[in-house]
Amino acid sequence: MIKKLLSVGHWVDASVGGSVIASVAMSVALSAGALFATAAQAQDALVVSTWGGSFRDLIDETISKEFTKQTGVPVKYITGGTIDRLNKAKLAGKPESDITFTTSHIGWLYVNSNLYEKLDTSKIPNYSHLVDRAKISPYHIGSWAYVYTIGYRPDLVPANIKFDSWNDLWNPELKGKLSAPDFDPSHIIDIAAILSGGDASTWQKGEAKLKALKPNFKAYYTNDANSQQLIASGETPVQVLLSMNAYYMIGQGVPIKVAMPKEGAVLGVDTMAIMKGSPRADLAYKFINIALSPEVQSKIVAAKKASPVIDDAKVSAEDAALPGVFTTKQQWDTQAIVIDDKLRAEKTAEWRKWFTENMMN
Amino acid sequence: MDARSKLKGWLISPASFIALCICVALATVLQYSVRAFIPGSLDVGGLTLANFTGLTKPIYLEAFVNTLRLSVETTIFSILVAYPLAYALVRVRNRFFKSFILIVSITPLFLGEIVRTYSWIIVLGNNGFINTVLRKLGIIDQPLALMFTHLGVLVALVHVTIPVVVLMLATAISHIDRDYEKAAESLGAGPVRTFLTVTLPLSMPGILASVTTSFAWTFSAFATPQMIGGGRVPTVSTLVYQLGFASMNFPLAASLSIVGLALTAVALMLLGQVTRRMKAFGGH
Repeated sequence: MIKKLLSVGHWVDASVGGSVIASVAMSVALSAGALFATAAQAQDALVVSTWGGSFRDLIDETISKEFTKQTGVPVKYITGGTIDRLNKAKLAGKPESDITFTTSHIGWLYVNSNLYEKLDTSKIPNYSHLVDRAKISPYHIGSWAYVYTIGYRPDLVPANIKFDSWNDLWNPELKGKLSAPDFDPSHIIDIAAILSGGDASTWQKGEAKLKALKPNFKAYYTNDANSQQLIASGETPVQVLLSMNAYYMIGQGVPIKVAMPKEGAVLGVDTMAIMKGSPRADLAYKFINIALSPEVQSKIVAAKKASPVIDDAKVSAEDAALPGVFTTKQQWDTQAIVIDDKLRAEKTAEWRKWFTENMMN
Repeated sequence: MDARSKLKGWLISPASFIALCICVALATVLQYSVRAFIPGSLDVGGLTLANFTGLTKPIYLEAFVNTLRLSVETTIFSILVAYPLAYALVRVRNRFFKSFILIVSITPLFLGEIVRTYSWIIVLGNNGFINTVLRKLGIIDQPLALMFTHLGVLVALVHVTIPVVVLMLATAISHIDRDYEKAAESLGAGPVRTFLTVTLPLSMPGILASVTTSFAWTFSAFATPQMIGGGRVPTVSTLVYQLGFASMNFPLAASLSIVGLALTAVALMLLGQVTRRMKAFGGH
């Protein structure tokens, strides 16, 4: 077969070889030219790396709008998935973006790969109002927070079902009704460990408990859109889900109830950082400071029902009453289940592998 | 260098460039597959074969079996459904009917895999079209489990594959000289016998091309098994995604990809041998 594959090239004689090399070189040059042109276009703007879709829009409509208003500098975006962007940043010789938004534990992978600039907090006056849980590392800090908790459709589960505790997820009446993210099982692994007397660092204590939850799982969702589709259609009327997603769906008219179990909900923090070697570091500091301003944080909460990461944001009473929107120190201390980000960055692969091998079959 | 050689150079340069890129990408994947995974880092460690020995766990074997099974089943059902459509497309004389068949069979090709897969979620779901109709007809009380099952993934994959198979089969059937069929009929063969002994063997090149394409296409399918399977129908591609992009365990994902690639190559070689034997046996 290999011979057959090679035989197609028999007519490529030596005289053609030089021409081929020249043509390939031309193709490479054209591609490189296109890349340089793109880079040149971004020269005069602050470049922000973020997820696409609603997160890009959120940043654009809240932080960037205010940033451009104050500085006159436009903002451009590099969008992509969490790991795609991390890989690209790692492979790039020079930073492609000035600012990177990513999840807190993934941020540690950037830190471990020496991709972030150590933050000079004196250049971020609003840093003084940052809540402790959003001070992730000397390199990256929170931009907004959310929880992974239980969201369910009261119209599609037995009337007696309540979620006062995470233990209620193990109710046999929920057989074949549950879904959770397939991209990150850390939430449910940590919960099972806690309910079994352990924590994230001793997660093996929860293995048996987690396996007992298997009959209740109907599916695992791949992304936010998939999560929304599964709960909106009623395919999986109970989900371990992102609070912001649940509130978005509620806004769309889907009758979802968000629970706050007595043990709390698993905290997630999306972070921002300045890329090492950024030629626009001063502008990047301004951008981060604006992101942490009370006005912008208030807009983020109103738009996404996220938790503000500063202690002086103005949040409407209606939003403040939502489960998973933390506005007081007491809520941060008692309702947030925190998985150490560094541990999570190190353990994610092990947890994911265990989950795939033991739960998703 | 004469003008003809220069033209040849220009003509093969895009293919050479793409081949070069694929070779580099494959070499990178191969390199990752024999490197140790370092938790909490995207860097990889020293040389190891542990990634390959780790693939003997039941979940990975299940993924290989599922993938092969889905590829074979999708190929068979796609051809069974597509052949009558392709036959009608070529042989029907009524223009309106011909256009109707063409639209029905080919339109899904323009929708994209994601859109088609989402459509199947709506059709196969608990409150989807099939379950709703069956419930209203009083045939079932409880919804049938179609989503997140092997059957659901198979149905959606067959739908994704049919347009391509229809096009390949229609091309093959259109090349069959009608005189052979007329000769068989004049010698007393009925329509079924004519089809089985003349038309079908003469359309074998199209069938074999469809088998190869459909098999390879399904083996590498990702969006459909991922979304319709909902994590309950593991395949090679969904596990590669989960291990590589969710766990960041690139070495294990790379080893799974390499074994999957080897398996595809073996399957396609076997198909190639079958094709040659059929040609030697007297196929068209």
